[in-house]
Amino acid sequence: MSDNIEFLNSGPLAPFKKWGTKWSLWPVHLVTACCGVELAHAYASGYDGERLGSLNYGISRQTNLIIVEGAISRKMARVLRITYEQMPDPKFVIVMGACGLKGGIFWNGYHMVRPSDVVPVDLFIPGCPPTPESLLRAIRSLQEKIMSGEAKNTIEFREFDLSSVEGRSCPALPPTTPKVIAPTPAIKVDVEREVEWSFGKKLVKRFEKELEGLYDSIKITGKNRIAISTDRKRVVKIAQILSAEFDHVKNVNVIDVPHERSFIVEYHISSYSVRELMPVVVNIFAKIPRDDPKFPSLMTYWQSADYLEREMYDFFGVVFEGNPAMGEKFLLAPDTPDFPLRKDRKIRDECYCMEVKE
Amino acid sequence: MEAVYELLKAVSKEHFMENMVSIPLIQPVIDNLLNIPLVGYVVALILWKPMFALLIFPGLLTLMTVLLFIIWFERKLTARIQWRRGPLEILRWAGGIIQALADGLRYFFQEVIVHRDAHKPYFIQLPILIFIPVLLPLLFIPAGSIVGIKTPYALPVVVAIVSLIPVFIVAIGWASNSRFAYVGTIREAFMYFAYEIPFILSVVAMILVYGTADMTAIVEKQTIPGIILNPVAALVFFISTIMATSRLPFEIPEADQEIAFGPFVEYSGIMFGLVMTIAYEKMYILALLMSVLFLGGGNGFPIPLLGDLAPVIWMFLKTMAVMVALAFLRSIYARFRLDQALRLSWTTMLKISAVAVLIGAALNIAQVA
Repeated sequence: MSDNIEFLNSGPLAPFKKWGTKWSLWPVHLVTACCGVELAHAYASGYDGERLGSLNYGISRQTNLIIVEGAISRKMARVLRITYEQMPDPKFVIVMGACGLKGGIFWNGYHMVRPSDVVPVDLFIPGCPPTPESLLRAIRSLQEKIMSGEAKNTIEFREFDLSSVEGRSCPALPPTTPKVIAPTPAIKVDVEREVEWSFGKKLVKRFEKELEGLYDSIKITGKNRIAISTDRKRVVKIAQILSAEFDHVKNVNVIDVPHERSFIVEYHISSYSVRELMPVVVNIFAKIPRDDPKFPSLMTYWQSADYLEREMYDFFGVVFEGNPAMGEKFLLAPDTPDFPLRKDRKIRDECYCMEVKE
Repeated sequence: MEAVYELLKAVSKEHFMENMVSIPLIQPVIDNLLNIPLVGYVVALILWKPMFALLIFPGLLTLMTVLLFIIWFERKLTARIQWRRGPLEILRWAGGIIQALADGLRYFFQEVIVHRDAHKPYFIQLPILIFIPVLLPLLFIPAGSIVGIKTPYALPVVVAIVSLIPVFIVAIGWASNSRFAYVGTIREAFMYFAYEIPFILSVVAMILVYGTADMTAIVEKQTIPGIILNPVAALVFFISTIMATSRLPFEIPEADQEIAFGPFVEYSGIMFGLVMTIAYEKMYILALLMSVLFLGGGNGFPIPLLGDLAPVIWMFLKTMAVMVALAFLRSIYARFRLDQALRLSWTTMLKISAVAVLIGAALNIAQVA
């Protein structure tokens, strides 16, 4: 079998094969990010990529080129690989844009993979986004590569021995701190603010009466916004009382505060059934220790908290006790590192190899 | 002994020379070639009218040329309508006219994937077997006196063979065993029943007009072109042709934006190259049929120097005009939904084709043609 392929690649029919492949590079549609707009531009009336014999096609089986348009997340990596495997040989891959090179604006994101880890890549186009001219230039250079015989059926990367390379050449630096530093670098969820909101003041009075002994503080943080500070032992009781009027959870948040060794868990609740409470958002929050991240699930009172709690477990590893789906991945791809949004997550070390020609 | 003698006589050079295409312009060259022993036999064979019909026009050579041209032309026309240039760089001075050749070569040298779920024998056989119904009708279509098989039943035979093509496409979709192929196959079957009846009725109307189903006789009788005698039948035939070749606005079985080329989704490499050309070959046959039935076939100004080639040229030009009109539709129309197309053909088209048959019957009684 490989003899036949070798015959096609270097036998008397090779020039015809190369010529046909050169002038008929059909890219498959695999738009993952905004570079797709530039691709559309490159094939529209301004630049007209079809002049080069290249035609955008919908299906992988009948095409021979993938233009990876931008970021490839862990979930899309599977799609990319399947598309690549579906295409018949000879097939080529062009990676477009900064996201495909090193991650671009998603650099160090827990959900990013590099296309070059998934499929063999022929050409990279740098830029954010690359211009249509550079895309057409890449197609041109791929054509030249095909004619010169460099583009083989399946590209193999050169292997380097990385065992001798110690870590990285420079230490991995965390992102620099902002220029303007707040006087107290504590993270405050309930900064009190003076607003003209008489109904809110009445509401706070009422809460103070109803939730006697269950809260640490109740503050108005803005128009239509109230923050109730509590802890995880008493929050269930608060939920039980408030769920009579407030019928849904808008949002569940977790804030990682590593220097205080704690998480802040927030529930934003509101109401669809009581007319006066419709614009009001009440924030119930509590601090929990970082080494024992457990919080009672409020699913029993607010059904809509279910998915949000699962998502927060995915990101931070806060166990919402009572939610039956704890301990399994919900929205993230299966191979994502555990609890990626915790601030102490290790950034993957990068190694660079430089080939020295002698 | 008698039979062997007959057979030898049938394949002899003299027998071919009795029924040869005469071209006065290059007659001296042909005469000289005929005198050379082996070459003379080959030349006589090629210029023998049935073989000429099979190999040159309307047969294989013209078919290949038309295929290469119409695919390029379609892309170029679409590009011009969208203010683009279309395929160009491959052959700059000729506007990239060999683009389809490059695509074909690329397909030819590409891997053919036969996926695990496919019914392997049928999956590989059917794209080749489908050429039987696609190529057979070419034998019956006359260009002047050049015709492969001359029979009074030529028209019904052609219509019957063309009707076989969707059966093969349904079989291809079944052998592919994929959900897109399945959806495309169902759509193909729906469309088949929808366009077939108006198509046959419009052909029947033209048989009524001319009072014969022999295509050579039909062409001879057309002093007035059929499109003027029975324009309603011509309209129905044209729309049925669009549906039968699944062009836009009726590109429903193959709709690549939604079901990814329907029955052909699993084919790759040269197999896809084969199945992709089926629609174009069908389009070529139906365009030939349309030029015979409605545009007067090989009729035209006689060109004395070209002799028998003059009807060939006239018919080629008429066929190309029909095909260009069909290609033009692709770039200007959106696609109908399946139910809209079915409603159109089962109501409006059926009514119009009934009217066409009535007009045909009236003309038959009046003995116009």
